[in-house]
Amino acid sequence: MSAYITVNTTGEALCFVVSLFCLYKDKEPAWRLFICFLLLTVVVEVCGIYLRTELHRPNFMIYNVFLLVECLMQSYFFYYLYKTYHNTQKLLIGWLTIFACFYFAELLKSHFGAYVSASSTTLSVALILASVYFYYLLLKEEKSRPLFTYAPFWWVNGTICFYFAGIACNLFFSYLVQDRTPGIGHSARYIVFSIINIILYLSWSYAFICRYRQRILSSSLD
Amino acid sequence: MQISSKDLILLIGLASVIFLIAPVSLITYVMLYNNRKKRHEQEKAWLKTSFENELLKSQMEVQEQTMQTLAGHLHDNIGQLLSLTAVTLSTIKPDDPLRVREKVDSASQLAKRAIKELRQLSRLIYGQELTRMGLDKAIAFELDYLKTADLHVITFDSNYKPKEGQHDKEIILFRIFQEILNNAVRHAEATAIDVAIQQDEQSLEVRIKDNGKGFVEEEVMKEKRGMGLFNIRKRVALIGGEVRILIQNGTEIKIVVPYP
Repeated sequence: MSAYITVNTTGEALCFVVSLFCLYKDKEPAWRLFICFLLLTVVVEVCGIYLRTELHRPNFMIYNVFLLVECLMQSYFFYYLYKTYHNTQKLLIGWLTIFACFYFAELLKSHFGAYVSASSTTLSVALILASVYFYYLLLKEEKSRPLFTYAPFWWVNGTICFYFAGIACNLFFSYLVQDRTPGIGHSARYIVFSIINIILYLSWSYAFICRYRQRILSSSLD
Repeated sequence: MQISSKDLILLIGLASVIFLIAPVSLITYVMLYNNRKKRHEQEKAWLKTSFENELLKSQMEVQEQTMQTLAGHLHDNIGQLLSLTAVTLSTIKPDDPLRVREKVDSASQLAKRAIKELRQLSRLIYGQELTRMGLDKAIAFELDYLKTADLHVITFDSNYKPKEGQHDKEIILFRIFQEILNNAVRHAEATAIDVAIQQDEQSLEVRIKDNGKGFVEEEVMKEKRGMGLFNIRKRVALIGGEVRILIQNGTEIKIVVPYP
């Protein structure tokens, strides 16, 4: 049982609970979708652990499928964020088509026998660029925003930290995965990922709370 | 190679910090920039409020000045004329028909003068509305009124053409002009006043020159008599212009404001 209670699963589960509480009445489907997405994340994580520890089978395929869901969710959410400024529907469709081609090409190349790490890196790069573009749009705006309580800003903050640190960790510190140190029992890579997962879910949870407060405030003003 | 637990924790900490430096810097930059934008917005709002306050004050002062002139005129001219008319009419004796005609004529003349004065006065009341028709008309009217006292030699030259969306600026400029004119007449005891409005594509210059006593700006400000001068400078700065004062054989004040 203790194998299922990790930093990642705990963080994801807590974030799911926060999203359920804060977003279930949200009028925007893009925000409400996070409830399903985070539930799916928890389920995938638990299934991954189950496959690895109980069935002693590789769990990359479940993560491969989840990568597609992740790409769809994050891309759609960025599309929703950009909608305030201008329509990026064509960009979204173009990007999803390119990613799908890349993803399936990689899957076929590995004969469905390995984790699609190149696709994962591509997704990370795209999401970092999307985050930077969101900041650019924020800076370009004529009016200032109350950023400390602006939900999209905190969502993007979590996303950029997670994917930036994740990609840097994957690309430059792959050797960290090798060393398991007595007393800690995990690779340095695992621990770094746990830290950035905490940052991601903290940031997202805060974004959901901001969103909840905004909804409560606007409904009390109506 | 086996890494010790202590080294690993250090390594993890270091790696996490390094990985997070770039996004955190970016987030910090966005927040700082946003704060700057917010401060800029607050400054703009403050400037707008103070501009509106000054505009309102100027409008009220223009009205006040008009009312003061009105009261003075009613008391000094029309009141006197009507009193004289009443006295003339009261001295008519019906048993002296020869003088009746003369006195009625005299009373009639006085009444006509009173009517003329009243007409002029009504134009003065209308005068505060003149700023709506253009700065030059308002200034010309103010100078015409001063001319009627026959105490000053006045010249006025203008190539002014009103432009859309500059009415607020005109009210403030007109009020500044009134203040300078008042100073010239009351404090400097000037006998000659030259006023000129020079307009080009981008700016407007209002020049008021008199042959009065003149003053030393620093002294006026130090003695705290310079509230009018302080207000003039403040208001001109508020509409983005500048004031140049030259004291030589009187006082020459030039106000240059952007007038696109």
